[in-house]
Amino acid sequence: MLLEIRDLKVNYNVDGHPVEVVRGLDLDIKKGECIGLVGESGCGKTTVGLSITRLIPEQKGGIASGRILLEDRDILSLDSEGLRKIRGKRISYVFQEPFSSLNPVFTIYEQLKEALPKEVDARQSIPEALNNVGLGNIVGKEKLYPHELSGGMQQRVMIAMAIISRPDLLILDEPTTALDVTVQSQILELIMGLKNRMDLAILFISHDLRIIFKFADRVNVMYAGRIVEVGPKEKIFSHRAHPYTRGLVDSIPSFEHRKKRFNAIEGRTPLFSDLPKGCKFHPRCRFKVDRCVDREPDLQELSSGHFSRCIRAKELMSNGAIKST
Amino acid sequence: MELLKVHNLKKTFPKTKVTAVDGVDFSIFKGEVLGLVGESGCGKSTLARSILRLTDVQEGSVFYKEEDLLKMPQGKMREIRKSLQVIFQDPYMSLDPRMRIGSIIEEVLLIHSDISKIERKNKVIELLEMVGLGGSYIQRLPRELSGGERQRIGIARSLATGPEFIICDEPISSLDISIQAQILNLLLDLKKKNNLTYLFISHDLGVIASICDRVIVMQSGRFVETGSCEEIFKASKHEYTRQLLKSTLICNYNSIIV
Ligand SMILES: Nc1ncnc2c1ncn2[C@@H]1O[C@H](COP(=O)(O)OP(=O)(O)OP(=O)(O)O)[C@@H](O)[C@H]1O
Ligand code: SF4
Ligand SMILES: [Mg+2]
Repeated sequence: MLLEIRDLKVNYNVDGHPVEVVRGLDLDIKKGECIGLVGESGCGKTTVGLSITRLIPEQKGGIASGRILLEDRDILSLDSEGLRKIRGKRISYVFQEPFSSLNPVFTIYEQLKEALPKEVDARQSIPEALNNVGLGNIVGKEKLYPHELSGGMQQRVMIAMAIISRPDLLILDEPTTALDVTVQSQILELIMGLKNRMDLAILFISHDLRIIFKFADRVNVMYAGRIVEVGPKEKIFSHRAHPYTRGLVDSIPSFEHRKKRFNAIEGRTPLFSDLPKGCKFHPRCRFKVDRCVDREPDLQELSSGHFSRCIRAKELMSNGAIKST
Repeated sequence: MELLKVHNLKKTFPKTKVTAVDGVDFSIFKGEVLGLVGESGCGKSTLARSILRLTDVQEGSVFYKEEDLLKMPQGKMREIRKSLQVIFQDPYMSLDPRMRIGSIIEEVLLIHSDISKIERKNKVIELLEMVGLGGSYIQRLPRELSGGERQRIGIARSLATGPEFIICDEPISSLDISIQAQILNLLLDLKKKNNLTYLFISHDLGVIASICDRVIVMQSGRFVETGSCEEIFKASKHEYTRQLLKSTLICNYNSIIV
């Protein structure tokens, strides 16, 4: 296993009070594997990504407990020197808002150089990284600034910066949300090409199940700070063994769905400061029964590697048309 | 019935000499959802802004109820803007970071209506609930919301004047799929209930396919193809349309896992 997250708990300070937004989360990433992390806005996806690189600002809260093992070394126990050896070297992060992540006053070359370990030869690595992300046409243009590039090219530069030191794990936080469809599909193809060539593991964070289904090997569905269903994507798609996953799939817009109301998930995600008792999804769940409110269900294994945090998972699986309440 | 009739609309940006909208003709019929799709920079938003006179144009006319909006006096135009609304692509910029969410929405009601304070408060809650949030957000500040939550506030604000025609300019592209579905449901419900008409701008062909009656495909300021949803998605004639369809992740449910 490349990365193992165990029982991670993270707090944010909201109006001076700590609020738990990651509430005991487990996640595994194998070497060279693409893991999808999907869930609605605010469910804590970015917080998980930031925790892996220990980038959550202390004054805003922090990691309360848990373990994040990178090949058996606990990232949470590293000092700043240890972290420096990992961040951008073994684990790279491409942020949700790419355009604000490139510094406008430094050239592309300067920023790429900054991302490199000192002992590496920039004269060789920079052209290589640019070629790797399909930016061969700007190799040698050392005076180029970010604003001279289109949004898609800027995102390619961000990816070049992330892979230049050949990390084992790349965290992509909504890497294409701000881009056009055609550019988006080019960037996604690029990422998948890199993954195969460089044997990269990828944690792909997105609210868009379509992208996740297309590119991830395994899918983690996250709700209110915890994983509610996880498994190989084919199993997730064919079984949808958690009502939340079902709602997400039913929300996908398509030609077949034309002008019909979506079987959307009603309501909104709960506030972390005011989570419901029992199953956190029960106020929005079509399949809720009385016992759902008693206690929060554990993840139960349905078949090898496929887990759901729903007490009715087996019924859902055996009968797609299980009666909703 | 034609609600809006646009003729030979042309917009060139004087500084850069870029012609963003290059002489387009089309009509929007009452009660329909007209989709406008194309890549960023092709002129979709400029076209939308030109129709509502949020930007000056060089040539053309936009007829609404026998009158050319482009020649209408300012005062009358202001009145008409209540019925011709727009939901913008990016409301982040326009959210005052110091104002609480409740006041941000109430501000629109203050400008456009003369209802009492209590009615305003109820309306704010109603609007917040419409966009999938709720009354508990009234006291919160924009920075305390996640990206998706902030976008919903922008939509609530645009719905506040009770419009007849809405230009939806990428209104949901930064929302979660689940909330997109809710908002699409909401737009479909509102349309039915109030006989609304939409010009729906999106780069997401899946979304266009799910909500539109007719579709215009735009490239570099011009329309390359116009047709019913079926024609565009099942029998597109233009190469550019096919290229767009190819790069879209999915517009067909059946092709989700390949
Ligand atoms: N700096 C902060 N201070 C207080 N609360 C925060 C802070 N950042 C995020 N939150 C809250 O923590 C929760 C998780 O946020 P996070 O950004 O991890 O979610 P996300 O799943 O990445 O959402 P999105 O899809 O919108 O990016 C949300 O309820 C959010 O409002
Ligand atoms: S445990 Fe109950 S409320 Fe929760 S998802 Fe399953 S059926 Fe729904
Ligand atoms: Mg996020």
